[in-house]
Amino acid sequence: MNAIVTIWGKQLRKMVVHPEEIIGLLIQPVLWVLLFGFGMRGLMDATSGGSSQGNYLTFMVPGIVALAALGGAIGGGNEWLTERLRGFVKEYLVAPIPRFSILAGNTLTILTKTLIQALVILGLGFLIGAQGGGSLIGWLVTLVLIGGYAAGFAGIALATSSSTDSPGGYHMLIFILNMPLLFASNALYPLATLPTWMRIVALMNPTTHLVSGMRGVLFGNGAAFAAESTLPLWTSFLAVFAFAGFGLILAARAFSRSIRKV
Amino acid sequence: MTDNTTNTTQTAIEAVSLTKRYGEDVLAVDGLDLTIDRGTIYAFLGPNGAGKTTTISMLTTILRPTEGRAMVAGFDIEKDPDQVRQRIGVTFQELVLDDDLTGRQVLEYHGRLYQMQPSKRRQKISELLDMVGLADAADRRSKTYSGGMKRRLELARGLMTDPEVLFLDEPTLGLDPQNRAAVWEYIRGLREAGRLTLLLTTHYMDEAESLADCVGIIDRGKLVAEGSPQNLVRGMGADVVRVRGEGDLIGFSRQLSSFEWVESTSTESDCVLIGVDQGSRRLAAIVESAMMSNLSIAEMSVSTPNLGDAFLKVTGRAFREE
Repeated sequence: MNAIVTIWGKQLRKMVVHPEEIIGLLIQPVLWVLLFGFGMRGLMDATSGGSSQGNYLTFMVPGIVALAALGGAIGGGNEWLTERLRGFVKEYLVAPIPRFSILAGNTLTILTKTLIQALVILGLGFLIGAQGGGSLIGWLVTLVLIGGYAAGFAGIALATSSSTDSPGGYHMLIFILNMPLLFASNALYPLATLPTWMRIVALMNPTTHLVSGMRGVLFGNGAAFAAESTLPLWTSFLAVFAFAGFGLILAARAFSRSIRKV
Repeated sequence: MTDNTTNTTQTAIEAVSLTKRYGEDVLAVDGLDLTIDRGTIYAFLGPNGAGKTTTISMLTTILRPTEGRAMVAGFDIEKDPDQVRQRIGVTFQELVLDDDLTGRQVLEYHGRLYQMQPSKRRQKISELLDMVGLADAADRRSKTYSGGMKRRLELARGLMTDPEVLFLDEPTLGLDPQNRAAVWEYIRGLREAGRLTLLLTTHYMDEAESLADCVGIIDRGKLVAEGSPQNLVRGMGADVVRVRGEGDLIGFSRQLSSFEWVESTSTESDCVLIGVDQGSRRLAAIVESAMMSNLSIAEMSVSTPNLGDAFLKVTGRAFREE
C-alpha cells in the first residue's frame, strides 16, 4: 500500500510541476464540450425541428466524459511505455515492494486524472446549459461508473504499452481500439437511430453502458432527445465492471510478462 | 580473495554457476562462479556485451537466472528477493532520474519507497546531498543538472537506504575526466566509511585499476581471470615489449616462449605482446629472433604492463574502450 501511494504521489507531483499538462488536461474536454457540443447542437436541432435548445448538449456530455477517460488512459499508457523504455522501472524492480504495486500506482494515477477531468466536464456542461443535475447518490454512482470505465481503459492502455517497445506501435494499436469504442456507441448519437448491426455492437460496448448509466442518474435520461431510451442501471454496472476486470487482468498479465525481460 | 570460505558473515556476494540464457542460442552469462568478501570493491571489467549488466541484473533480482544460484547479503536472490532488495543499493547504466523532480525530491521518494521514517529520511538526504556536493542544487529540477551531477545524485540515491551491498553499473559512463575523478573519490570514501561492499562494472581499464581491490575480467559471459589489479598485471612479467610487424607472428611468439625470461606472449592482428623480466635487456634477443622468423618489425616499444595487456593475454583480444 505504501508503495502504491508513493508511486501515485510521485506521478501526480510530476504532473503538478508541469502547468502545461494540467492546462491541457482541463482544456481538452472544455474544447470538446464547446466546439463539438455547440457545433453539433445546431445540426441536431435543425434535424429535430429546432424545438429543443440545449438537448444535444445534455445528450453528449456523458460521451465527452468517456472520451476524456480514453484520453487519460492513453496518456497514462504512454507514460508507462516511456518509463519502461528508459529503464525507470528498474528503480522499482530493485526495491522491496510488491511488483503489483507498480501497476496499481500507474492505474491509480490514470484514475485520478480522469476523475478530475470528468468533474470539470460535468461542471462545465451544466454551466453552459446541459439539463439535469442529479442527487448526491447520482453523482456518486456517476463517479463509480467513470472509475470502472477508466480502470478498464487504463488496463488496456497499460497492457498495450507493456507489450510493445515502439511508441508508434503503441499509438497505432490504441487508435484502432479507440475509434470503435467511441463511435460504435450511444455517446454521440442515439441507439435508436443506429442500423441494427451497429446497435448490437454498441450494446456490447462498455462506452454505451457508461453513457447510459450517467444519462439515467444525472441527466434525467437525456431522453427528451430523439426518444432515446436508457438501459437499466444494473446493466451499466455489470458491463462497466466486467470491462474494468477484463482490462485490469489484461494489464496484470502483460505487465508481469514485461518485467521478466527488462 | 583467495579464501574460499562460504561463511555468510564474510561473504557479500556468492554466485554458483550463474547462467542466463535468452532463447535457444544467446548465452549472456555462462556459468559464473563468484565470491566477493564484505567490505571490498570488486570490479567487473569487460567490453560491452560481455555479460556484466546481465549479471548485475540477476544479482539485483531484476532478472531470474536460467541456471545456478546466488546469495547477496546473505539471502538467496530467488528464494528471498525481498530480503535482498532491502539490503542493496543500485545505480544503473542509463540515467534513471525523473527530470521533473528536484534532487531532494528524487531522494525523498526513494526513501518513501523503502518506508524510511520521515526524520531518518530528512537526515539522510541532507547528509548525502552534502557528501556528493549537491546541497546547493538540491531544490533545482534534475533536468537542469549536468551529467556529472546526475551521476552523483544517482550515487546518493543508491546510498539512501544504507545498503550492505552497492551495485554500480558503469558509474562514470559518459563523464569527463574531472567528473570521473570526483565520482572515484566518493567511491573510495565509501569504502573507508564502513563495511559497505561495492560491485561495479566498467569498461574503463584505469577505473578498475584505480578503484578495485579485486578485478574480474569477464568476456563472452565467462569470468576468464580474477585477482587484484596488481596480481593480474604481475602475471604479465615486469615489462611488456610490444612488437608490431609483418610476417609469421605466431611462429615468432612460439619461438620466444622457449626463452626462460619470457613470462607471457599474446598475439593480436599485427601485434605481439611479450611479457619479460626486464625490457631493455631483452630487446636485442627479441630483434634477433624476429629476424630468424622472417618478421619485419615496423614498430617496437617497452612499457610497464597494465590491465589492458592482461586483458589481451587472457582473452586473446585487444581491449577497446569505446
